[in-house]
Amino acid sequence: MRVEIQHVCKSFPHNGSTLEVLQDVSLTVEEGQFVCLLGPSGCGKSTIIHLIAGLERPTSGHVLVDGRPVTGPDPSRTVVFQDAALFPWLSVLGNVEFGLRMAGVEPRRRRARALEYIRLVHLSKFVHAYPHQLSGGMKQRVAIARALALQPAILLLDEPFASLDAQTRAVLQNELLEIWELARPTILFVTHNVREATGLADRVYVISSRPGRIRDVQDVSVPRPRRAEDPVLLAHQHKILGLLGEEVEKVLREELGETVHFPEAQHPAPPEGSLGMHI
Amino acid sequence: MVRLPKGATFLKPVPALALLYLLWEATAWVFHGWPSPRAVFGVLAADFQQPAFRSALAGSAWRMAVGYALVVLIGIGGGLLLGRIPLVDQIMGSFAVAIHAIPGAAWVPLSVVWFGMTERAVIFTIVLGAAGIVMVNTDTGIREVPPFIARASRTLGARGWTYFWFVVVPAAIPKMVDGLRLAWAFGWRALMAGELLTSVSGLGQLLSQVAKAGQLDGLLAIMLLIAVIGVTIDWLIFKRLEHAVRVRWGLAS
Repeated sequence: MRVEIQHVCKSFPHNGSTLEVLQDVSLTVEEGQFVCLLGPSGCGKSTIIHLIAGLERPTSGHVLVDGRPVTGPDPSRTVVFQDAALFPWLSVLGNVEFGLRMAGVEPRRRRARALEYIRLVHLSKFVHAYPHQLSGGMKQRVAIARALALQPAILLLDEPFASLDAQTRAVLQNELLEIWELARPTILFVTHNVREATGLADRVYVISSRPGRIRDVQDVSVPRPRRAEDPVLLAHQHKILGLLGEEVEKVLREELGETVHFPEAQHPAPPEGSLGMHI
Repeated sequence: MVRLPKGATFLKPVPALALLYLLWEATAWVFHGWPSPRAVFGVLAADFQQPAFRSALAGSAWRMAVGYALVVLIGIGGGLLLGRIPLVDQIMGSFAVAIHAIPGAAWVPLSVVWFGMTERAVIFTIVLGAAGIVMVNTDTGIREVPPFIARASRTLGARGWTYFWFVVVPAAIPKMVDGLRLAWAFGWRALMAGELLTSVSGLGQLLSQVAKAGQLDGLLAIMLLIAVIGVTIDWLIFKRLEHAVRVRWGLAS
């Protein structure tokens, strides 16, 4: 499915006034494309995900899926949240089955399908474990399996690996790419990690902060599997970091006041072998 | 603090109990006429030999079981209605809180007016003394579904009644269990008050009998038994249940 966001503004009431989170955002994601939304914290990236998921409505503008406006959540658009958001009272199997159960799939079929996706994320040994018994990375695997079990046309990921350690993140990134190449859903992936964005996506939207606007679009045409030290990727990263450096400065200025001064070398290129550059 | 090995945590209150025992023994030495622990345990042991005592105990247990079952049913059912249906909340919400504010013992006179000096009056007292807290807690629990759970379930297709049964109700279980634990304590007190003030055969009534007969050791024996049953059930069932639920729901480790 094709996702279109047309001139979307979104503001929230905040301490008696309104806080403008998104300002005139337009973007298009083609069917089967892997797109990353990249920006500093507080730039409204998650709000874009919530708008496409149907959890929020735009203040103005249009959110369209295959040309039709989004009016609410739908099982064809599932979300992997940053905090996994698993149901703590359900086992791994129960969590992965949840969406199928809501869809009224009969028990034997939904169990078989859930087990298939649990196997895909390598958690077959933990089918009957509960979320409190799992590590952060395992919880995200469950969240991915839970979102995939509904076989969505659009998979939305809201900083899914942000709270994981570097090694786990790298493993899960590769697994996500494998899964994407298998089922080819349209993917919108939110991150504030430049390496992650350029390593995964066909296209990276760079989002500025407060209010969030599309600052730049980079089409990354490097074939997969991508090597971290690929010069084209490094060039993309360098360009994005330059743009974002200004953004990060802007955010910090707003938060800390005008007295903060930033030296030129604030955003060096990532050192060889490092797994990512956070902004 | 001495660290006890896992599985031996039930020994934790032993020092405090030993101290209490010694203090009691000492006071019995000092004050003439105040029964010693040994005398009280002796009376308790003798009490258990009497069929009348055992049937009184069984009677109390039966009333508590029936009363508590009704508390669970009415408390959780009422709480779900309060939280789910705004109209019920508008009409009954403050009423539930008001019932919850009246101590169990204060329901006895009304119960007796309605049901006479009967077993039903005692059960009615338990229900009114304990259902309120379960209702209020259930209501609070289903109103406080964590936003991240609510969002995730909606993207997975939960809505309306399926959202209520598969998300809201399970999310509220920790709060419900808190309420059920408190309800056990409130209900146990209400049972004693009910039996003391009506003449239904049970622990409460035995208490008033021995008090009238001036048997201080018998009185202490029954009070001790009331405390021990109350604490034991709380520990064996409710504390464990509460802990297990809090661990699974990620609220404790």
